[in-house]
Amino acid sequence: MTLKENVLRRWARLKEGPAWLTSSLQARFWLRGCDQVGANTRTFWRPNIENQGRIVIGARVRLNSNWAPIELVSGPHGVIDIGDGVYINYGSMISAHLRVQIGSNVMVGNYCIVADTETPGIGDPPGGPSIEPRPVEIGDGAWLAARVTVLPGSRIGAGAVIAAGSVVAGDIPPGHLAGGIPARILRAG
Amino acid sequence: MTIRTRWNAARTRRWLRTCAPVGEEPLLVGKPTIYVYGGQVRIGNHLRLASRPVASHLVAGPRAVLHIGNNVSIGYGAAIAAHQHVHIGDGTRIGPFVIIMDTNFHGASGDQSIQHSCRPVTIGAGCRIGSRVTITRGVTIGDGAEILAGSVVSSTIPPGVCAAGGRARIIGRAGDMASRWDSAAAVLPDVLMASLDLESPPDLDSSPIPAHLLTYVRMQGVLRAIEDRFGLALDPAFAHEIETFADIAAAVQHALRERQDTGGL
Repeated sequence: MTLKENVLRRWARLKEGPAWLTSSLQARFWLRGCDQVGANTRTFWRPNIENQGRIVIGARVRLNSNWAPIELVSGPHGVIDIGDGVYINYGSMISAHLRVQIGSNVMVGNYCIVADTETPGIGDPPGGPSIEPRPVEIGDGAWLAARVTVLPGSRIGAGAVIAAGSVVAGDIPPGHLAGGIPARILRAG
Repeated sequence: MTIRTRWNAARTRRWLRTCAPVGEEPLLVGKPTIYVYGGQVRIGNHLRLASRPVASHLVAGPRAVLHIGNNVSIGYGAAIAAHQHVHIGDGTRIGPFVIIMDTNFHGASGDQSIQHSCRPVTIGAGCRIGSRVTITRGVTIGDGAEILAGSVVSSTIPPGVCAAGGRARIIGRAGDMASRWDSAAAVLPDVLMASLDLESPPDLDSSPIPAHLLTYVRMQGVLRAIEDRFGLALDPAFAHEIETFADIAAAVQHALRERQDTGGL
């Protein structure tokens, strides 16, 4: 990193103001319900964590709960695994009753739903038919734009881009741009 | 009973104080917004209603009834508004960000102008409604139907089917994972049933189609339905060649395979 880049980066941090100074400390408090939190992970305002299973958050993760909180919910046997350098924008829900894996450097837009059951967060009502959760996997460096819904059993390849408002059902190959309901490949590579 | 559960029960009672009657053991996650002005919100037993990270809201206008059955679970960010009648059957599961309204738009509190444009919405028992589904006025959804995520429902959905799309269409049978979105073989019987007004989905075997169905006009209707559903334009002259349902299935499979060879949609 050149001196100029370094100075610019530090200036950008300073411009963020007190939020940057306090966000790392706040993250330690607000993410205390998680099983494992990496270094330099930061939160902006308070996310809701409901951990009955296991939630693992990597290093340098940023969680923005500024306008609507982020919700991380793991059921009794659920595992949420968030890699390094992930950015999750406000209002997103990540719910695991089996397994949700998010790779490193993934960006998740606002109001996204990533869940391995069809009623994220709240479980099934008593007496109703129960639906098997199916694991969700998002590869390294993928980018989910705003209001993307990732249905149970989906797999998004590394570096894939999902257009805003899409519903992902099934597999998206690595490095492709996909969009629509259901998400289809719009552009390769 | 711990202090926490008593506190939660008291808070739930307070949040649902404008609803009557309220069944046993409602479970609220976060605080919902409930507007009742002159109507009723009736809630069955074991309601589950999420309001985190985005608050759900229930509205009942003047003389309106919003009926929620037993064992219903509703995801966060839901907007359910009754200005006449909205019925949600027992055991129905509703995903996050769902909009269910029996009018075309919300009025402000006390606005009377929308009442003439209401048509009641009925959702059957044991339905599964995915995330971000919009259910417009006058819609009836049959028991056990499944609406996939992101759909807009504006017409009647029969019981036990799976529907999806920007204007929701039947794409298969509920609960059948293979029929989701793409699998043509599982969907075709339902398309045929809808376009030929049959009682039940036909078998795709080589027994001949009954003579009263095998008219040119009806077969053109079938081809139109196939074009509508799968985006396949079959040759109109093919309508003369159809003798069995297996012929139709073979033609659809052949056309789908050709489309895949040319790079898909």
